[in-house]
Amino acid sequence: MSEASEYVKKTKPHVPGEVGIWVFILGDMVIFGLFFIVFIYNRGLNSDVYFQSQATLNQNYGAINTLFLLASSWFVAMGVDDMRRKVVRLAPLFFTLAMLCGLGFGVVKIIEYREKISAGITLTTNDFYMYYYIFTGLHFLHVLIGMGVLVFLWLKARAAVQRSADTSITKKENEKENEMMLIESGASYWHMVDLLWIVLFPLLYLMK
Amino acid sequence: MNTKAQLFCAWCGVSFLILFTLGWWFIAGYIPPMSPAMSANEVAAFYQENTGLIRLGIVITMFSAALSAPWVAVIAVQLKRIEGDFPALTYALLVAGAVGVVVLVVPPMVWTTAAFRPERDPELIMLLNDFGWLFFVMTFSPFFIQNLVIGLAIFSDKASSPVFPRWVGYFNVWVAILLIPGGLITFFKIGPFAWDGILAFWLPLLVFFGWFLVMFPLLLKAIKQQVLLVESE
Repeated sequence: MSEASEYVKKTKPHVPGEVGIWVFILGDMVIFGLFFIVFIYNRGLNSDVYFQSQATLNQNYGAINTLFLLASSWFVAMGVDDMRRKVVRLAPLFFTLAMLCGLGFGVVKIIEYREKISAGITLTTNDFYMYYYIFTGLHFLHVLIGMGVLVFLWLKARAAVQRSADTSITKKENEKENEMMLIESGASYWHMVDLLWIVLFPLLYLMK
Repeated sequence: MNTKAQLFCAWCGVSFLILFTLGWWFIAGYIPPMSPAMSANEVAAFYQENTGLIRLGIVITMFSAALSAPWVAVIAVQLKRIEGDFPALTYALLVAGAVGVVVLVVPPMVWTTAAFRPERDPELIMLLNDFGWLFFVMTFSPFFIQNLVIGLAIFSDKASSPVFPRWVGYFNVWVAILLIPGGLITFFKIGPFAWDGILAFWLPLLVFFGWFLVMFPLLLKAIKQQVLLVESE
């Protein structure tokens, strides 16, 4: 391919993944957006309870989890980038690291829930904790689904590494494109999980 | 191939929406939903003051609920085209859809039981009222599975001209997840996650109704496509 056509190819607008995943991602973000508006509105009505409860949250856990998800997103991006190369080598490693970060997030979340529940704080304690448990719980559900998605990415990456090593296994160009589309869809989903947390964290833990 | 039966079934879905809204909302007056924080006397007053309308509205609501059966059936027929000989997801849809009809029929029957003798002890009326609402709003599980398996079946469609576009698969999974907040109403009497709340009631209700409106034209298109395929063979 000449340099000029390479350039043209790169500047062509590219939507990562398949169009359908964006129906899901944007739909999901609209819903979480609605959740956040309801939260902020009710917080405005009764801010004392919210401030007092917010002060009892452990910001360190939230911050560590933010780092975990940001790192995992970076690993996923690196993994996808590696998958685009002719010879795939490091993608399975990147996806494994992303999974470990996801796992770390889950462990911290469970420790945090345990601390709160053993202190007698539950879903029905007050409005703030209602939102805290439901929002972080629904987000945690997204993380669990995301872990399944990461396993899928890892399997695809491992198969790609094997193909790179063994040239007798060939894949048609359109199949490759199709596979890349699935991988980008999965990665986009994981980035959304990350993004939702990046909004949730300041909203619940930090916002004054 | 009988297209007419399929079209009839698809229209049943729309009829369900119209009749359910008419009976439950406009005649029986269950929307906007009453607050779970209402006292027994307030609840009893609702049944005592609107007895006739509730009875009439509920007959229509109860009838309309079963119209969702043919609707689920025609979706199943189209999913079967994707799945072929061993249609596990299609069967899952049928079973979940059948349970879904029960979930739509039973709450109106419980409410009409409350309206049957409105002069009885307000505590008992409240019990029936609670039972109806909890059953109706909280039981998201069959609908969750219903929409999830539709999504999964659409994802498995490898045909060059698929029955449904792939985004419809994502849409169905999205709807499935949105029904989940209904499961939280057991914890709350007030707020957005109570049975009259914006996030546990209004959002799932609008999404569920919207799902019919999105799926309807897509079903008509899929049936049309099936006709063309059969003719070209």
